[in-house]
Amino acid sequence: MSVNPSALDDARLARFSRQLLVPGFGEAAQQRLAAARVRAVGADGVAAPALLYLVQAGVGRLWVDDPEAVSPQDVGSWLHPPSAVGTPRSTAAAEALSRLSGFVAVEPYPTGGVPTATLVAAPSAAQALHAAEAARRAGVPHVVMEADGDGGAVVSIPPGAPCYSCARSTGTGRPAVPGAAALAALAAEELLLLIAFPGTIAGRRFDLVRGVATARPTARLAGCACAAPAVMGP
Amino acid sequence: MIAPGSATGGVVDLRRYACPLTYVKTRIALERLAEGERLEVWLSAGEAVESVPRSAAEEGHRVLGVEALASEGGGYRILIEKGPAVGGELP
Repeated sequence: MSVNPSALDDARLARFSRQLLVPGFGEAAQQRLAAARVRAVGADGVAAPALLYLVQAGVGRLWVDDPEAVSPQDVGSWLHPPSAVGTPRSTAAAEALSRLSGFVAVEPYPTGGVPTATLVAAPSAAQALHAAEAARRAGVPHVVMEADGDGGAVVSIPPGAPCYSCARSTGTGRPAVPGAAALAALAAEELLLLIAFPGTIAGRRFDLVRGVATARPTARLAGCACAAPAVMGP
Repeated sequence: MIAPGSATGGVVDLRRYACPLTYVKTRIALERLAEGERLEVWLSAGEAVESVPRSAAEEGHRVLGVEALASEGGGYRILIEKGPAVGGELP
């Protein structure tokens, strides 16, 4: 009896072989990544490394949602070249990321697009709260990153978990150090885990200080509206 | 000698592949089996004949035999019995 060893084609197996061999990962997890439609809210220099990770891990579709123009500060990140200064970040990021992988469709977020997961790396607290609440109401897993110097916090919110309002930082944090990528990498990894292993991760928050991440479960604030079920699913 | 019919979980012919695809495909095929089922893997001569059995053993599977394929175009056959699930660190 000859068996077909994989549902993934050889090109994908070769491209993703390193992560396919990670204990605990596997073909089914890779297929769930490939089926995902990820909305990334924010594509500045702080968010850029996370977008790179999502593409290189093989999410199926990445929608970049950031209408602001690439600034000179963004060029200090890993994604935007100097020639992109002045162009919308969504467009610039989609162009740069599309060159990295033929297995991922990267494009600016389309109006009305329905994601299956969301990464929130918004430049302001208000934008982060708005994007996270939209994801919660849609019932999709989401991860919010808050930069603070060379570290910050990452909040993972699977469906039904305490919301970002319950778990966010109360301060504003320092500006992100140019080129610091650890926080974005951690945020991307958390979102990939939420996508690849649905239902296995509870809400949690990581605080990254001087390169050391500490995790703790998130807790719902008394009276928060997130205790009610999400309005609609993905 | 690997007895005919030993491969209760099927046969995978990977002789046209090189590392790391040889073990990636072996691992995926093993993922689909139940503990105790046996997979026969065909490999071309070379590094994979050493690395695939070694990697399988490191992940808790039993390598029951490695022998040359007498016919069918040459190469080697490896019989692997799926071991208990090895706990990963994800998620």
